[in-house]
Amino acid sequence: MKDKIAKLHDKHYKLLLLIPAAILIFCFLYTIFFYSINGDFFKKDISLTGGTSITIYDETDAEKLKEDLSEKLGEITTREIYDIITREKKALIIETKLPGNEARKILEDYLGYELNSENSSLEFTGSSLSESFYRQLVIAIIFAFIFMAIVVFIIFRTFIPSLAIIISAFADIFMTLTIINLFGFKLSSAGIVAFLMLIGYSVDTDILLTTRILKRKGEGNLNQRIFSSFKTGITMTLTSLLAVIVALFVVKSFSLILTQIFMVLSIGLGFDLLNTWITNVSILKWYVEKKQ
Amino acid sequence: MFLYLNGMLKKNNKKMKSNISWKIILLISVLTVSFISIFNSATQYKLLVFGIFLIFLASFLFKFPHLKILFLILLLGSLLLLVYTSFIQTGVIISGVEFNSSAFEQGLRQGQIIKEIDGEKIENINNYYTLMQEKFVSGEKIKTIIQTDSNEVILFSDNSPNITVDNIPRTQIKMGLDLIGGSRALIQAEDKKLSSDEIKDLSSVLDNRLNVYGITDVNIKPISDLSGNNYVLIEIAGATPQDLEDLISKQGNFEAKIGNDTVFIGGEKDVASVGRTSQESRIESCKESEGGHFCKFSFSIYLSQAAAEKHAEITKNLTLNQSNPQYLSKKLDLYLDGKLIESLFIGKGLKGQVTTQIMISGSGEGATREEAYSDTVDEMNRFQTILITGSLPYKLKIVKLDTISPILGKEFLKSIFLAAILALSIVAVIVFLRYKKIKSSFALLITSVSEIIIILGIASIIEWNLDLPSIAGILATIGTGIDQQIIIIDEAKSGKTLSLKQRLKRAFTIILGAYFTAVVALIPLLWAGAGLLKGFAITTIIGITAGVLITRPAFTEMIRMIED
Repeated sequence: MKDKIAKLHDKHYKLLLLIPAAILIFCFLYTIFFYSINGDFFKKDISLTGGTSITIYDETDAEKLKEDLSEKLGEITTREIYDIITREKKALIIETKLPGNEARKILEDYLGYELNSENSSLEFTGSSLSESFYRQLVIAIIFAFIFMAIVVFIIFRTFIPSLAIIISAFADIFMTLTIINLFGFKLSSAGIVAFLMLIGYSVDTDILLTTRILKRKGEGNLNQRIFSSFKTGITMTLTSLLAVIVALFVVKSFSLILTQIFMVLSIGLGFDLLNTWITNVSILKWYVEKKQ
Repeated sequence: MFLYLNGMLKKNNKKMKSNISWKIILLISVLTVSFISIFNSATQYKLLVFGIFLIFLASFLFKFPHLKILFLILLLGSLLLLVYTSFIQTGVIISGVEFNSSAFEQGLRQGQIIKEIDGEKIENINNYYTLMQEKFVSGEKIKTIIQTDSNEVILFSDNSPNITVDNIPRTQIKMGLDLIGGSRALIQAEDKKLSSDEIKDLSSVLDNRLNVYGITDVNIKPISDLSGNNYVLIEIAGATPQDLEDLISKQGNFEAKIGNDTVFIGGEKDVASVGRTSQESRIESCKESEGGHFCKFSFSIYLSQAAAEKHAEITKNLTLNQSNPQYLSKKLDLYLDGKLIESLFIGKGLKGQVTTQIMISGSGEGATREEAYSDTVDEMNRFQTILITGSLPYKLKIVKLDTISPILGKEFLKSIFLAAILALSIVAVIVFLRYKKIKSSFALLITSVSEIIIILGIASIIEWNLDLPSIAGILATIGTGIDQQIIIIDEAKSGKTLSLKQRLKRAFTIILGAYFTAVVALIPLLWAGAGLLKGFAITTIIGITAGVLITRPAFTEMIRMIED
């Protein structure tokens, strides 16, 4: 069985590269399309555009509130928070692009009582600050990526294998971003941070794979080494993926920050399976066979 | 570092067989220190634990293996005792004392623990508040004896002391505002970059202003970000004053003028002190007027000698008021931020006098009598604050303002806790299914939990506030930690031609590679976004560093013991 798979893989591994390549091309095209419509690479939520998020602890109906206030508050998003065990409704979050005091005033008039720190939370971010947030987080990601690439080059000191790791990390990020856009999710600052985490998670298995293939030539043939790292790597990614999905379900609708982090991670880890075990493996195998 | 670790591995390999490895001891040591720093127990318990820990270390000088096990059990027992004692402390902790209040003058301070009031034991805040409510129901001046952990204070008053109290925290772990509630503001000077001296001045004015409002738990610090913007971050734990926005962003320029001459301005240079006791400041004569109610307030202030002399100089040349000859011809006009608030008649007796005491008055209004009263109190407070603290040297703009209620914090923690437990259990189950070794899965669980304890311990030591990004960082650490432990388990199993030690060493090569890529990826985040996501980077860096230096070597050792 193992031999059969190995033979099949020997024959078709270059063809397998077409799968990630096709997905990447789709992502590129979609991103160009997305950019032409939205003027940006993804939709930003109020933590990156500026605006106010007000959490109130009462029974107000979200749908009705949205209907009644959409004229005054402009584009609003609402979200309800439930207790994870009793499913009892705990709070309602309203997000608008208006500044904090204006949004509060409108909401106070609507609810008929004063909002203070006892009965509500208010988070306001000015638009100039959030724009600079956004710029800096993007810079942070670019730098993180470059630093990571440098460290990878230092570890392996060979061009193609290092490049393969960097390509698959890039593909993880790019494919995840496209999925986020396809679903129409808005990214928050926490979501961008999750992409940073994704760099760390995705490089783990690639380093494992490359180390075993390039630095352990005495231990079985190429396919055996690939298969052994596959077994380890798949356990790593699957444990992370399951842990992240479980966490996602627990915190879902509770904490926007954590929900986004876990969502980005679970999509990214899914793509990491593809990019490590198809993209990276194929490039590496090609490289090693050519050298022989 | 890599060479160092390798060297350690070699040196210790020979004697490892008969002894507990130094790596396990290192883990136990770090865990002990973490426990001591996390739990808020009395010092004597901490010393006890530390003592037993030292004996435990010393027991390695002797050859009796049972002795080591005995002391290890003692150490574990004392750690549990430490946790237990931090949970049985009673009393309430003072979280804030209003500046210059009688409670403050009599010696109550933030951080003290109230044990008894009038001989009655105080267990928690409910206790405290019920007692206070019952005690001051009559509105008469009565005596209160407060016994704290460091002193005894006696107060005479007609209402409860001007302090805020809280339950004693069980741990030293500090939670961020997004979990315990409070306010956070990020302010920026308009069209101006502040120098560090200017930021210091600003901090002190803001600090004073908030103090006047009885808020003592304020953290003000300058912050700069990747693009070179400078901000001032203000964090207030607990209740937030309604007018925080005005308090921190309004310049508050107070001027008292006679004609075009400025007599004095707000701030300690001109105003020596502001009367705030019930004798020196009062709200009087609430009246109904067209369309609402209004009340008047008045309080006395004491001018500095220089300001008083200026007053004499200016009034010297004034004539008497023609229609109302007991007053002088010009009034004392009070301006706040350029707006005329009040014009006061100056008695003829004050002409040319060096007078230091001056009555200030003003008014507030509202639709009902109660509203008018509370508006007047606010107005008076604002006035007094500005007279005490002076104006801010420049215009400020609030770029971020969060006021977070503590209500959801507990729910948050509950759900995060649940998420962590579920995620860890699932990982342990998968590892068990994959490797069919209950001991290895168990070792993995122990290691991950140790990692969490170590991160919390270090966070307590460096007084890091754990906010949501920090918690996300802890989760990230545990995730990558587990990945690396899987590499270790796997490497120990595979490549049987090499010795176990060599195989484990190879696992470390991969782990160090992953470690360095993760650390460099986090570094930009320490500065990006005004540092508001710094918590994520800090906890992750602490966690993965502790992982590479402490828990991973210990885990390797556990696996070695299991495999051997």
